[in-house]
Amino acid sequence: MALLTTITGRLSQAFLLLLVMSLIGFIGIHSVGNPVYNVVNIETATPEDIRRATELLGLDQPLWRQYVVFVQNLATGSFGTSYIYHLPAFDLVLSKLPATLELAVGAIVIATIAGTGLGLLAVTRPGTLIDRIVVTATVFALSVPSFWLSMMLILAGAVMTGWFPPGGRGSTVEVLGGDWSFLTADGLKHLVLPTLALAIPNVALIARLARAGTVEVKKTDFVRFCIAKGLSGRRILFRHALPNISLPIITIVGLQFGGMLAFAVVVETIFAWPGVGKLLIDSIQLLDRPVVMATLTFISIAFVALNALVDLLYAVLDPRVRISA
Amino acid sequence: MTHQPSTTLKRRPSRRVCTPPNLILALFVAAAVAAPVLAPQNPYDPLQIFGWEASSPPGTIGSGGYHYLLGTDGLGRDIASCILYGLRISLMVSIVSALAAAAIGLTVGVTAAYFGKWVDAIIMRVVDLQLSLPTMLVALIAIVTLGPGVDRIILALIIVQWATYARVVRSVALSEAGKPYIDAARTMPLSNARIVLRHLLPNSIAPAITLLPIEIGHAVALEATLSFLGLGVPMDQPSLGSTVANGFQYLLTGQYWISLFPGFALFGLIAAINFAGEDIRRIWDPRNRSI
Repeated sequence: MALLTTITGRLSQAFLLLLVMSLIGFIGIHSVGNPVYNVVNIETATPEDIRRATELLGLDQPLWRQYVVFVQNLATGSFGTSYIYHLPAFDLVLSKLPATLELAVGAIVIATIAGTGLGLLAVTRPGTLIDRIVVTATVFALSVPSFWLSMMLILAGAVMTGWFPPGGRGSTVEVLGGDWSFLTADGLKHLVLPTLALAIPNVALIARLARAGTVEVKKTDFVRFCIAKGLSGRRILFRHALPNISLPIITIVGLQFGGMLAFAVVVETIFAWPGVGKLLIDSIQLLDRPVVMATLTFISIAFVALNALVDLLYAVLDPRVRISA
Repeated sequence: MTHQPSTTLKRRPSRRVCTPPNLILALFVAAAVAAPVLAPQNPYDPLQIFGWEASSPPGTIGSGGYHYLLGTDGLGRDIASCILYGLRISLMVSIVSALAAAAIGLTVGVTAAYFGKWVDAIIMRVVDLQLSLPTMLVALIAIVTLGPGVDRIILALIIVQWATYARVVRSVALSEAGKPYIDAARTMPLSNARIVLRHLLPNSIAPAITLLPIEIGHAVALEATLSFLGLGVPMDQPSLGSTVANGFQYLLTGQYWISLFPGFALFGLIAAINFAGEDIRRIWDPRNRSI
């Protein structure tokens, strides 16, 4: 029952969010410029062409009516047709999804494993050089703007050494209706740098969290009892401390995964990675409103859904947690 | 409430001011303030830029009679000068937006806590709504709606940041609002605005102060990112982000200096702010205050 209220609460929140965002996005794109000039060929188009294109896109209607049409279409599950690509907007987003997904999943896996590992490494040697290096390095890693980190990775990994390609997706294989890079050697090579660019700040974040969490857990009575019982340090760390710090780590993993879908915008732009983020930036610059709305909606829904999932996971992992709306 | 003289000495956390990060941060601020004096070239003035000396490597002697210490960019602008002038924009934008966001967030958070009921419900619903989205997404939506420009990006950063302050301040203000001195103030013929701003706000300010340096660091990074994407500060104005962006296309052909040095400046600035912010947090966070 409590679960049901949580879900309905989340859903209504998500619905409100989308309503507000669609309004802002609509007014925003309308105030920035007229998309028609990106649709017609500006050098050869006659005023008649422009007028016809405007009518065809429905842009001659007042803004409120355009919005009503948008909502009506939405009710039938359609975001409209892209002004530029002449494809259904949401299908376009879905077709770019595998590229973003393999980046984000790769990055989050690296970040979780390396981050937890580094954090635990630091905490088992408190006050030593390793501990201090981890603590300091993580602040630096969290300070690097992701676009500059990406560029330095290109400089070091592609321009200077030539180990990895500086951008693009490489060859892909079609599985389950999507194109995937990680299944080919060439694609995997293309994946390395952008995945690292997304992962490094998160490695630092998770390492700090794991370290701080374990420091707290180490002070508790049950760990002292484990020590008194004569358990090995390794067993205490992995069997008793780790489950207790897993909750904050899972929260951050969930949140960061959603954040990555948004922050991939930057990394994808730099690495010319044809994912959802690059689609968003391109569409913003081309004022392709249906695609912008579809992309923003998709990222928001994914983010809200992930948050809800993390909350539900809490209850599974920690029986003390009671879900409330 | 009577004041009792404390019998135990309070051990205060160290308040060393001259730590390396603080000194570096001070250096950055000084360099930004003194940019017109320090920079050999004014990158805004087309008359001082020699277009034919574009993409000169570091150390070249230019027609202006000075060394291009860090080289020039694709338009012939001296990178060192661009960094100095870019620091001004980055710092100005982030400090102004963080202070404004803190002021708005503080007021809103305290107001929500003081009035409670539907005021609180409405305000916090809006705050939660915004915080349920990634900051990058909020920033993108804001900047798309507002359009490019320095004033717009400040506005966008305020929109991104105010909710965080409102959330943390409200939680502190909520417990402060239940304390006797607020009840006492309510019995006096004081206006609500006066109680909120003069009594409740000063006592709820601590979390906002701990948050401020962190958010300034975020703002520097976010401004640079938006400028890099071509959505923030216009390309012809040398902000750190736009200078790095200018150099991106040259990176692949080996002209690394255009992006590398401004990027280092940006990275150093954010790192210094973050380290200084950790110090401030350590001092102001009540949990770290041993009694």
